[in-house]
Amino acid sequence: MKHLIPEFERWKARFPKGFESSLVLPCVRRIQEDRGYVADSDIDGLVEYLGVPRMQIEQVLSYYTQFRRKAIGRWHVQTCRNITCSMRGAERLIDHLAKKLGVAPGETTADGRFTLSTVECLGSCGTAPVVMVNDTYHENMSAGKIDALLDGLE
Amino acid sequence: MPGTQLLMTFPVTATSHSIADYRARGGYATLMKVLETKTPQEVTQEVTLSGILGHGGAAFAAGRKWQVIKLDDGQPHFLCANADEGEPGTFKDRWILEHNPHMLIEGMLIAAYALQVRNAFVYIRGEFDLPFRRLQGAVDEAYAAGLLGEGILGVDFSCDLVVYRGAGSYVCGEASGLLSSIEGKRGYPRNRPPRLTVKGLFQLPTVVNNVETLTNITVILAMGAEAFKKVGTPKSPGTQLVSISGHIARPGVYEVEHGYPLKKFLFEDCGGMMPGAKLKCIIPGGISTKVLTAAEIESVTYDHASFSAAGSSLGSGGMIVIAEGTCMVRLLQVLLRFYHHESCGQCTPCREGMGWMHRIIDRIVAGSGRPGDIDQLYQISRWNDGNTICGMGDAAGYATIGILDKYRDEFEHFITQKRSRLDGNLEVVAHA
Amino acid sequence: MPEIFINGHSVQAADNQSVLEAARASGHFIPYFCWHPKLSVAGNCRICVVQVEGRSWVEIACNMPVTEGLRVFTDSDLVQAHRKMVMQFLTLNHPVDCGICDKAGECSLQDFHYAYNGTPSISHEPKVPSTKFHDLSERIVLDNERCILCSRCVRFTHEISKSCALGIKHRGDESLVRASEDGALDRDPYSDNVIDICPVGALLSRQFLYKARVWYLKPTPSVCPGCARGCAVNLWHRKPTWQLKALDPKQNASIARVTPLENPAVNGPWICNKGRDLARIFERPRAEEPMLKGKPVELDAALDAARRLIAAAKHPVALVSSWGSNEELAAFAKAFSGRLAAFVKSDCSPEPGEPIEDDLLIRADKNPNTTAARGLFGDAPAAFPTETDLVLVWGEGFPFAQLPANARIIFLNAYLQPENGHADVFFPVSLQTERAGHYTNFEGVVSGFEPCFARKPGVVDAEAVFAALTGTPKS
Repeated sequence: MKHLIPEFERWKARFPKGFESSLVLPCVRRIQEDRGYVADSDIDGLVEYLGVPRMQIEQVLSYYTQFRRKAIGRWHVQTCRNITCSMRGAERLIDHLAKKLGVAPGETTADGRFTLSTVECLGSCGTAPVVMVNDTYHENMSAGKIDALLDGLE
Repeated sequence: MPGTQLLMTFPVTATSHSIADYRARGGYATLMKVLETKTPQEVTQEVTLSGILGHGGAAFAAGRKWQVIKLDDGQPHFLCANADEGEPGTFKDRWILEHNPHMLIEGMLIAAYALQVRNAFVYIRGEFDLPFRRLQGAVDEAYAAGLLGEGILGVDFSCDLVVYRGAGSYVCGEASGLLSSIEGKRGYPRNRPPRLTVKGLFQLPTVVNNVETLTNITVILAMGAEAFKKVGTPKSPGTQLVSISGHIARPGVYEVEHGYPLKKFLFEDCGGMMPGAKLKCIIPGGISTKVLTAAEIESVTYDHASFSAAGSSLGSGGMIVIAEGTCMVRLLQVLLRFYHHESCGQCTPCREGMGWMHRIIDRIVAGSGRPGDIDQLYQISRWNDGNTICGMGDAAGYATIGILDKYRDEFEHFITQKRSRLDGNLEVVAHA
Repeated sequence: MPEIFINGHSVQAADNQSVLEAARASGHFIPYFCWHPKLSVAGNCRICVVQVEGRSWVEIACNMPVTEGLRVFTDSDLVQAHRKMVMQFLTLNHPVDCGICDKAGECSLQDFHYAYNGTPSISHEPKVPSTKFHDLSERIVLDNERCILCSRCVRFTHEISKSCALGIKHRGDESLVRASEDGALDRDPYSDNVIDICPVGALLSRQFLYKARVWYLKPTPSVCPGCARGCAVNLWHRKPTWQLKALDPKQNASIARVTPLENPAVNGPWICNKGRDLARIFERPRAEEPMLKGKPVELDAALDAARRLIAAAKHPVALVSSWGSNEELAAFAKAFSGRLAAFVKSDCSPEPGEPIEDDLLIRADKNPNTTAARGLFGDAPAAFPTETDLVLVWGEGFPFAQLPANARIIFLNAYLQPENGHADVFFPVSLQTERAGHYTNFEGVVSGFEPCFARKPGVVDAEAVFAALTGTPKS
């Protein structure tokens, strides 16, 4: 992660003095963006850079749902299963996706392209059901639309 | 239009979120006026006079919160906008972040001036990628225009704004959990005392306000507190951004003037129920508010007093419309699964209680319910009320008790007949 | 200094106290799991609730500041109902391992269950399993099913030992106490304190695991001799009533475990891991017979021989043990002052890998009574005077190769070591576990230890040897 430090230094300048600890979440996010997950060596590097206890970073990585310590598929297909999405067809959509991809929620396809997850409310209930693929919200989804979307991805 | 509009006053276009468009709408003129003509104390007085209540769900008077900050205490103060918006059914702050971010920035600058804040934060939930890019873009534009940073608008007022991204935790929408997260740690809520306005971010005085509340600060200082109070009702001045979803024909974000008739809002402004659907009940303001049946909303108006009298609350402004035919047992199952997933795990009643309730409802839905289950769900809900570190335990309790109070018969049926009376339906009208 | 009222009784509280602290200080008992006098307030267990007069709800007392005139009740109906509730939640998934759990008999969960609940769980759900016997470190075993996530152990490593070695991973009821992945807990010399402060049987000492039920054991107050801090400790050993012939006799005279004995003037409620391992020091093979050049003799014969050697010596020197108690040192001074040139000897030096010194408890001087010894005698010179013809060596640790080649040796030692046979006269002496006495620590604080084991037949108190050799004239 050392090549990211110049970027981290620019961020540090915007925080008040003594706020090094605050940089844990943004730095972890950036490292994960870069590598696809956070490696043990990244944790060591971040401990050295920020001077925070290693346990703080380990706890943060295990507490937040968006952080991961292992690689997943190229496309993270995250389907909301909360209340409005379920009222507008999300449960059928999840079943459809599981059949189409041949995996259960939490698993990755054998070719490494897709990881299927169920997530809680994404704050897009007005356009339910919603599927988040990597960072992008795909709204008003249906079986047909999700097929078209996934079939068009590498 | 559900009453007077104060925020959604312009058509959304491909550029309406830009600083140029915002300025064309009169943006940042209020900030200039405030910096030139008002002292920090006068700004807080104006906000207090307006009577504005927080829009995050707690409805705490914003002016009263601000007054706790002592301007002469020699300590750094912090301002945090709560853009975590994790309450299921709620997506109205997202409208501000995506389409009117500069109005939020202006409101935060006015607040920072009033509270002598040098470093302000917007805590935005990690999943909101597009809203983050819009907001960060607006922040960059503001810096470039000299509206953030050192010596804003050439005056002796400086403020830095950091947009801080969360990473997937509902309790980071709780004010103290939010601050724990900005400190770079797990989003663990904290016990009070001390209040966050006394010891908040890194144990320094901090004001946490909802995005919509801070955006309204611009409106209040633009039109003046007296004019603001004329909108809405005396106890609930101004408006509320409502995100409405579920079995409604036209889901989306609407600005509702406080006092507007709820039935009119649902059946005229939002187009009524989806074709073929009949109203069963609504969850008024995010899942942590008590359900109101179709009969109960007959004469309810959209304001705090009316909702309270009806036995519920405005909450986060996230309204979920539920049609006849929806199985309330399965609905509660989705809610309890959510609370179980989101409990931070610190305190005994919530940590153990959420898992317990989830396992009970799963068992009922699987056809193995027991006669005592309903009473146990009530018991666990009451045991959490007021006995936890943060409001999530209470919220789960209210949601559960609200549904059990009004739909007990569905639960009794599921337990004795081992199946839903409504085929376990959540999706009443099949979507495409 | 606010006056508050607890159950109607007036209590003089201190400024900045919590209601819980004020209650404890005035003898009103409020139960707690997560609170600890030396750690920050977590307020997560929720059992310490009280009811403020006039309010229809309860609040935790550990985070309630005292205010003038505050009136609280610690045992109202609401408080009692609330405690039952907390116990129901805590025992919801608790494995009830009492039959095989080391903590039984000193477990807060057991105590409060009987005191405040006493009823079976109302849950009909199967218990949720979790990790059992997780290797938290080389020394500590963690059972996550028993853990109530009070976070005392985590706070200890962040606030007291500062290793930051423990944390809580994941969230909700999947939360797990875990050690950081860089092995910091193994390197934390205070790690075992978390075993004491764990209110349940989640954190257990591997060396004590399944050794004994605590109600068969008796704690004897003692002083840790591992360094010059002299932390107060409890040495736990089998109660006299349980020293049955049918049970392994070695267990009657062994240390089952060592725990801190709270001493505000020295160590507070903590000790370092070396203090936990005192059995490693005290239970090494013991010398049990007086000897003359390796040949076992009766005590009287050894004393005679020693007297003759002292009388004949023209330049006798003594190396005084820095593990000698205040009483033994006084007896030595009385016996030999003016007759032997006595110098303080450092019996023990830091072992390779042993922490030298820190700003918590550990001192570089690995001997318990250097201060008292130096009060009476000087430090040893770099080399013995060439005319030295007798050396009285008291205590282990001095390499005999460094003794003058022509000098005779009188040696007092507790342990079975090769040098014992090289001495002209050898006395097998007692340990601090076999007699009463005092040490003076590096700050001058005097602490006492009591005996917990009987001396084996051949073992003699050094004090008695010195008394017997007192006033030996020159010949």
